[in-house]
Amino acid sequence: MDKLLVSPSPHLHAKTSTKSLMRDVVIALLPAVVVSVLFYGWSELLVLGVSVASCVLLEFLITKYLLKGTCTIGDWSAVITGVLLALNLPASTPWWVVFIGAVVAIGVAKMTFGGIGQNLFNPAIAGRVFLLISFPTYMTDWTKPSGFVGSALADGFTGATPLGIAKEGGVAAVEGLDYMDMLFCNIGGSAGELSAVALLIGFAYLLVRKVIRPYITVSIWVTVAVFSGIFWLIDPEVYTDPAFNLLTGGLLLGSIFMATDYVTSPMSNWGGVIFGVGIGVITMLIRYFGAYPEGVSFAILIMNSVVPLINKWCHTKKYGR
Amino acid sequence: MMKTFSIGGIHPSDKKISKDCNIEILPVPAKVYISMAQHLGAPATPIVKAGDSVKVGQVIAEPAGFISAYVHSSVSGTVKSVGPRKDLAGNFVTHVEIETEGDDWAEGIDCSDTLITEIPEDNKAILEKIKLNGVVGLGGATFPAHVKLSPPPGKKADCLILNGAECEPYLTSDYRIMLERSKEIVIGAAIMKQVLGGCPAVIGIEENKPEAIRVMSDAVAELQKTARGYDGISVMPLKKKYPQGGEKQLIDAVMKRQVKSMGLPIDVGAVVQNVATSLAVYEAVQKNMPLISNVLTVTGDCLPMDRQHNYKFRIGMPLSYIAEYAGGIPEDAAKIISGGPMMGKAIAELDASTVKGSSSLLYLTAAQTMRGTESACIRCGKCAEACPMGLEPFLLQKYARNGMMDELEENAVQDCIECGCCLYSCPAYIPLLDIIRIAKGDVIRIIRGRVQK
Repeated sequence: MDKLLVSPSPHLHAKTSTKSLMRDVVIALLPAVVVSVLFYGWSELLVLGVSVASCVLLEFLITKYLLKGTCTIGDWSAVITGVLLALNLPASTPWWVVFIGAVVAIGVAKMTFGGIGQNLFNPAIAGRVFLLISFPTYMTDWTKPSGFVGSALADGFTGATPLGIAKEGGVAAVEGLDYMDMLFCNIGGSAGELSAVALLIGFAYLLVRKVIRPYITVSIWVTVAVFSGIFWLIDPEVYTDPAFNLLTGGLLLGSIFMATDYVTSPMSNWGGVIFGVGIGVITMLIRYFGAYPEGVSFAILIMNSVVPLINKWCHTKKYGR
Repeated sequence: MMKTFSIGGIHPSDKKISKDCNIEILPVPAKVYISMAQHLGAPATPIVKAGDSVKVGQVIAEPAGFISAYVHSSVSGTVKSVGPRKDLAGNFVTHVEIETEGDDWAEGIDCSDTLITEIPEDNKAILEKIKLNGVVGLGGATFPAHVKLSPPPGKKADCLILNGAECEPYLTSDYRIMLERSKEIVIGAAIMKQVLGGCPAVIGIEENKPEAIRVMSDAVAELQKTARGYDGISVMPLKKKYPQGGEKQLIDAVMKRQVKSMGLPIDVGAVVQNVATSLAVYEAVQKNMPLISNVLTVTGDCLPMDRQHNYKFRIGMPLSYIAEYAGGIPEDAAKIISGGPMMGKAIAELDASTVKGSSSLLYLTAAQTMRGTESACIRCGKCAEACPMGLEPFLLQKYARNGMMDELEENAVQDCIECGCCLYSCPAYIPLLDIIRIAKGDVIRIIRGRVQK
């Protein structure tokens, strides 16, 4: 040893990095990915492949040639956007629609704001909502699960999501639907909505690895349960029940993986609770009274835009003050 | 439920590799260099000159202000020079250079091992002894102990907290003295508690040191049975969390009280002293022994087990001498730290001498200590979650980089205790503390300037 290294304290680091955190999110998404591929087969693989590949490629091209800065694809965040976008689309989505979604997600929602850490809106949701508004026919073509493993989907539930059916035909139309089906991959919908269990496994992993804190997710659940519970008790003929609302329409996917996106959610715990309650209320307002059968994506986007305000007003409890 | 502080904190790996190494006594080197700036406050004024002969424990420098401390010779011999010499950070500080001859102790110092459990009654005399023997806080800040033990008029101590948390990874010197000098520490606590007006004394020890909790509890119980003046002393196990040993955090953990911003612990009735300080108080009061030695840990993952040590050193021994004695610097060490890895200082000058507050020679490899490349903030909030003062480091660094002083003050940058939790937790490797530390200094200067006007 010839030279002493000198630097200010601290001299140790937790050794978690943006990359390791993002990789953990990808790992947490794996159960949902595996389930969606098993049940939707080749078409889902294609959607996933196109989505991830185009997100990563677009970020590479934009950082390298448009911004001429450091390339950030190594941090895995573009991969997460790709996976989440794919899980938010029906498995039957044509590849070019997926690509357009990726352009909006990475090109518009993420990179125009300055890339990772700067974007106001969750890229995957921005991409999804853009597609939902622009290509409603593709985006509501809910094929029933028919992939590598068999499916015992109840008759009469093909081609629409449970929430869609409820919207069209009222509560009576979904009475035959079993909650066990929702827990274990037997409902129509976006690829990522298939199995609540797969998503919950991912949630547990994220909590155990301390990647996310539970405040946002849990406050969304509680709000949705309380809100729908009140309405359901008032009139169970008109309003769907809490368990149905929690298990359908991408609520779990949205509350676990997208509302908790670091960049687009509040930084303090209390801020997270406000954010979560807001998402829950807006989701339920859209579901019960809006034109769309489900509203998690819109709710998250709307609350994303409030995050800077929440951050401004919600500060951590300071010692001795 | 075990107690701990309420806000933030992190859980770095313990790495108490040297915890089973007994305290060994280092032989006295041919020369020592005794620094005049071994305490917080004004550097002491030397009262010896080249050619003077000194004895072990003889005063060689006097305090140069209210917050300052006496400095004593740690060896016997001849003063060679009094002049500037580099400290471990490479800054010039006045040192007294003494060439060692024999081991001739000054009059009135009791060098025996006999335990003196009876506490003198005259509090004034006790404080005078603590002051004359140069006792300073050994938990890191080296604040003169007699000042802390004399609450300003109108303020009263409700609790004396003895800091045995030793929450920094690697360090084991406090642990070893709690095992080997437990009774002395308890007697020191009893002395300080008496001086403070008989308030209860709590010895806070983290749960990762069950041996220390047991030994210290036994020592308290035995002294309570056999001698007077030991009532109201207790051991409190604390949940392991860094920075538990931070003064403000320890007060929160033990008393559930929080010191106001820019305030002092005594404002909430707390006095915190390290266990090593308690030992120094015992020696000063009961043995008339000045603070001329302390215990230091030589450790690191790159050192084999048989080269891990806890040494009792005399102040003024060069760090390089200790490193050599301990078998040299390991090949793969890239950084040597004096103090813990979270708050300690990287040594720039290995020939610098040890001071009263020296607590370790910690060897870290490049892989352990090199920081990753800084990338964009991903707003994960991990820094704010980790901050034990409840600050928002991500916000402070942004304000600091833009020179926004008002916003920095509003967001309490002056409350930062520089524990390093934010930088430790940041996944984007943003040098949060580096930036905040500078801003904190600037803001405190502004606040002080305002008060004086």
